[in-house]
Amino acid sequence: MRLFLLTLSLFISLAAFAQQDRYQFDSNEQAIRFEELTKELRCPKCQNQNIADSDAVVAKDLRDRVLALVKDGKSKDEVIDYMIDRYGYFVHYDPPVTPATLILWVLPVLIVIIGFGFIVIRQRKASVKQTWSDADEVMLNKLIKQNKRQEQS
Amino acid sequence: MIPELGYFSLTLAMVLSVLLCIFPLWGAHTGNLRLMRAAPSLAIGQFAFVALSFAALIYASLTDDFTVSYVAYHSSSTLPWYYKITSTWGGHEGAILLWLLMQAGWTAVVAMRSKSLPWILRARVLGVLGFLGVGFMMYTLLLSSPFERLLPYFPVEGRDLNPLLQDPGMIIHPPLLYMGYVGLSVAFSFAIAALLTGKLDNTWAKWSRPWTMTAWGFLTLGITIGSWWAYAELGWGGWWFWDPVENASLMPWLVATALLHSLSVTEKRGVFKSWTVLLAIAAFSLSLLGTFIVRSGIIVSVHAFATDPDRGLFILAFLAIVVGGGLALYGLRVSQVKSEGRYKFVSREVALWLNNIFLVVATLIVLLGTLLPMVHKEMGLGSISIGEPFFNKMFAILLVPFAILMGIGPFLRWKQNKWAFLQNKIFVGALVSVVITCAWLFSSYEVVTPLTLLATTLGVWIFIATFIDLYTKAAVHGSLKLGIKRLGLSYWAMVLGHVGLAFVIAGITLTSAYSVERDVSMKPGDSVQLNQYQYRFEGVKTIRGANYSGHAGVVTVLKEDTTIARLYAEKRRYDIGMQFMTEAAIDAGFTRDLYLALGEQLSEGAWSLRIYHKPFVRWMWIGGVLISLAGFVILFDKRYRASPRKDELEGAL
Amino acid sequence: MNRKLMAIVPLLIFIFICVFLYQGLFANPREIQTGRIGQTVPTFNLPDLMQDNKRWTDEQLKGDVYLLNVWGTWCPTCLAELDYLTKLREQGIKIIGLYYVQSYDADFDGPFDMQALRDDVSNMLARAGDPYQFNILDLERSLALDLGVSGAPETFLVDKNGTILLHHTGDINPRVWRAKFAPLMQELQP
Repeated sequence: MRLFLLTLSLFISLAAFAQQDRYQFDSNEQAIRFEELTKELRCPKCQNQNIADSDAVVAKDLRDRVLALVKDGKSKDEVIDYMIDRYGYFVHYDPPVTPATLILWVLPVLIVIIGFGFIVIRQRKASVKQTWSDADEVMLNKLIKQNKRQEQS
Repeated sequence: MIPELGYFSLTLAMVLSVLLCIFPLWGAHTGNLRLMRAAPSLAIGQFAFVALSFAALIYASLTDDFTVSYVAYHSSSTLPWYYKITSTWGGHEGAILLWLLMQAGWTAVVAMRSKSLPWILRARVLGVLGFLGVGFMMYTLLLSSPFERLLPYFPVEGRDLNPLLQDPGMIIHPPLLYMGYVGLSVAFSFAIAALLTGKLDNTWAKWSRPWTMTAWGFLTLGITIGSWWAYAELGWGGWWFWDPVENASLMPWLVATALLHSLSVTEKRGVFKSWTVLLAIAAFSLSLLGTFIVRSGIIVSVHAFATDPDRGLFILAFLAIVVGGGLALYGLRVSQVKSEGRYKFVSREVALWLNNIFLVVATLIVLLGTLLPMVHKEMGLGSISIGEPFFNKMFAILLVPFAILMGIGPFLRWKQNKWAFLQNKIFVGALVSVVITCAWLFSSYEVVTPLTLLATTLGVWIFIATFIDLYTKAAVHGSLKLGIKRLGLSYWAMVLGHVGLAFVIAGITLTSAYSVERDVSMKPGDSVQLNQYQYRFEGVKTIRGANYSGHAGVVTVLKEDTTIARLYAEKRRYDIGMQFMTEAAIDAGFTRDLYLALGEQLSEGAWSLRIYHKPFVRWMWIGGVLISLAGFVILFDKRYRASPRKDELEGAL
Repeated sequence: MNRKLMAIVPLLIFIFICVFLYQGLFANPREIQTGRIGQTVPTFNLPDLMQDNKRWTDEQLKGDVYLLNVWGTWCPTCLAELDYLTKLREQGIKIIGLYYVQSYDADFDGPFDMQALRDDVSNMLARAGDPYQFNILDLERSLALDLGVSGAPETFLVDKNGTILLHHTGDINPRVWRAKFAPLMQELQP
């Protein structure tokens, strides 16, 4: 029952798209694409806001341009490239993959690998069966004496 | 007069602070008990004077003393009294004074509640805390005093507290956050003291733990409230933006979470010592780094304080000395620390090690994402932006192994485990989680993407696994009731923390996947539909508050023709400064929020309105509160509250 | 030995970070580098600000080195830089104005009051100095968007072939000219 109502309401909202919504789209995909784009594009002039949230003139202009491009059938990547052509990489909240930015993805993976590796190697070392020799006995006594001295000082 | 007394009081605090830094540390170095014993009284004296100073600033705000430039810039006579007090930390200088108050406060509490520590350690901890106090006090007295006067020409009215900050959120969010940031300095001090003394053992971990957990609890709560406040206040329904200032609070939190877990391993098993110390140093270092980032002007953010390079330089120098000194000491002394203890691969030790790796990697991702744009630009490579798309993607990837591990972790025993015993719990837990999630999501929603399904399942998995473990551990005692009583507070902390995170994960996933929005223009009498709710616009009425005027859009919300709420979405214009602010109307619920914001007036009596339906959005803050409770629950642990017998410890070095 | 080395790593990483933090204190985080550097001025066809029936295109702009200055009468910083720009004009530098209309919104405002704007502009240029060979009116801010402009004042240095060599945000004053524009202008002379 709930599923039916929800599907029904989806139809109703799509139909009601027409008159009152500020932004009119030809399809749901376009509406979603517009929303994603305005959240991913950065206002070039603001103090860290995307163009969806900002009231600045340039943000509004960018929103209008994105709207026009989306309704024209452009894909999400095409719109982003369009904006990057004009405003540089700054305007997209997802950084480009360049040798300089590669560290963003490489370093975390590296640390995970090193972390895993560390514990695995430690396990290998710890599981090596240990033998006890006379030299070890001498060393042990020496360390005990050293420790006693440290505790007293 | 009072502001000058405030400044003077701070100077006295500074003197005590310097003594607090020198006497105990010198005393510990030379074995001079008298010098060491001066520490607690110095700490308490320091706090008294800082408190007086803070009181002086509050007094200046409450009495509308606009000859004090800070009060003139951040307050006004039109503010209600509680916002006047809040304006004390509404600007940079006052916020630093709040930080100082917390610093002195934590130091004093540590001084009073560390009687069971040997004097050498106690003196060193207080000495390091004293050093931190000195730094911040010098900064305040020399570069950032809130007591500057505007004489002889002072304004008759203040510039008012930024309307965005005139909100209950502002009353609690900064103090909670600062309690967290500053509290982590206690863990830091313990680590430095332990490195100086050369004794990094289980007892050090045991003492450090309650302080760390409390600080972490405050930080969790502070971040949670911050997110909720942004949601309620900003008018766009957003609750996290990966803004550098937000990241500055997340990084110490992630490391502090790793620290907590690591401390428990060191306390119980005596392993991971060097890592625990490093984490303790890192947690506070990130707090300081965060403070630097936010106040130095190196990043662009709505949250950032107005600054100048001089101040930034001082903080950077202080950061370099404290963190550099700490890490140098670590480099020198840590090789003396040896962790004994053997454990197999399938053990709780390893699980917690992996947990820490994931948390550290998460911190690294946030750190890289926050600082790389600046570094990239400084290297002449151009401007880039790193925001939501990047962070969300990376955290989503990281979440999968992390959440799986979180469920399995509690099942594991220390040292070694028999796979057979684990198998059943894991298998049953996983199966139940998948079934519950599928049933839930597919019956509620048209479209369920693989990502949504996976993430929600992970949240449910953590929840189910925690309860399987709870049941298993309680059932061991024969009767469940008895078993539950027998479970330690430490265990309940874990349950709260993990269940809390399960709610956070589920809440974030579902609200991100299924929030819907409509941006409409409506005339009085119009109705729109969003999901199963109908929104009828009744019109707009003018409103008048204590220091603002404006409009409120009145909307009746109906579900299948029954009125369920009447919402007032406001657009306010504050008298002083003429700033506009949207005050969203929210119909909060456990399973969904209905969120309404008023836009601009359009032609022919129509108004633009934004209507949002946000399912399960409250879950993330409910989860956050649960997690923070995990931190505070530990305070009730009898182990940490037993007062030592005086005669036993008098003169103990 | 190995452990000792590893223990120093955190300190080294921290020092590395501090270097960049220090540099960051003296940089301007709000100055961004936009996309059109190295590309030619995009195609456009816009009316002249002051004369009816006169239009300008990108082709017409080619042939000389010039500064394209984005400005408006609503912008106080633009007013401040007019004096220096006029001096530059007197030194023989060609400056073309791109008038950025700040608040006109075709959806909401009435028909555009051209005469009022022209009067405003004439008054301001008469008072503060006129550095412009002519002004192009960008009513809908379309050329501005295509150039990567986000406000005013902003200035582009364009060479004879229409290639954009520099995009400066903020006012132009002697210090900025010496640091950013002069070196490039030198290279263009011979």
